[in-house]
Amino acid sequence: MKINYSRQNMYLIFMTLFLLLFVLIFSFLVLIPEGKEYRIKKAELKRENSELKQLSDFSIEKEVVLQKLQSDNLHAIKAFANNFSPKRFEKQHRLFFSSLSISKKSKLEDEDDFSVYEVNTTSQISSPKSFYNFLDSVNKSDWIIAVNFPINFKRDGEMISSSFTMKVYNSKESNATK
Amino acid sequence: MRYSYIKPRPKVVFTKDLQLLFIFFGVTIFMLFSTYAFLLFKDYRFTQELQSITEEKNQLRTNISKLNEQIAVVEKQSLMSEKIFTKNSVLKDSINNLFDLVPSRITLSEAKIMQDGLILYGITPNKDIYNFMLQAPLRSIFHRTYSSFYPAENGWLRFVSTNYIDEEELGSEN
Repeated sequence: MKINYSRQNMYLIFMTLFLLLFVLIFSFLVLIPEGKEYRIKKAELKRENSELKQLSDFSIEKEVVLQKLQSDNLHAIKAFANNFSPKRFEKQHRLFFSSLSISKKSKLEDEDDFSVYEVNTTSQISSPKSFYNFLDSVNKSDWIIAVNFPINFKRDGEMISSSFTMKVYNSKESNATK
Repeated sequence: MRYSYIKPRPKVVFTKDLQLLFIFFGVTIFMLFSTYAFLLFKDYRFTQELQSITEEKNQLRTNISKLNEQIAVVEKQSLMSEKIFTKNSVLKDSINNLFDLVPSRITLSEAKIMQDGLILYGITPNKDIYNFMLQAPLRSIFHRTYSSFYPAENGWLRFVSTNYIDEEELGSEN
């Protein structure tokens, strides 16, 4: 038995088959691999985003820590940055002494990444209590100063002559900027 | 003369079947291409976003390392200042204790306070007062204590008391 297809029907079948084949080939060779790549990139982006968020949170956390440290140690930070001025020191601490003179500062070896300068001080005090008050006030001064040995006290009539050295500490960064 | 009772159909290239087929495949291919275009666009956006995220991450890492450096500097400054302030306070207490140690009957004329020693010059009514009231407490603080006396004009005794702490012994005691 012979089936007779009309020419039009044959065109229709061929066209259908061609289009179907095109759709299948396009889907399997182009669209599905592209979809897989899309999924991989989407997952990668999600991972990268979460890593970015973690880093951003960590950065904020560090900033908060730094700000807290800076606000807690504001005096120390400013004091380390200040350049020592003998005149200003004398002006600020003269009230503890009857007389006070500070020698020119000389550079010492660096200590723990801090620049250290030494100044010699000679003064006259009416009682040791003035010296204790001075030591209390040094800790609140505009510089980081360590009162150093040797310390000499000598009776001079009603007064006490005292001489001692002081180490002034500066942060190296502040020196570099000056 | 008519041979058929029906009206002849006009012959067209795009028959109803072919039109249906084209519409069906047209819609399908359009959807496939639009999906493909969407995926390509998204891929492009993802690549761009990944690039910007990588840049942001690098920036954040640099920022974090800078913050860490700043934190380390501030911590170091804080520790150093605390150490110095404590040293000054300890020095104040030490001098205070030293002057408290001297009894009222002994008068100091000079005191030299050193890192590992103390030299006192003064005047005492007699040796016993010096030995019991000043030398005894000094001996309990210092490892080596030397005293020398010479007479003063008013009959009292001038003294020089030299006291040292041995660093080695201090280390072994610790």
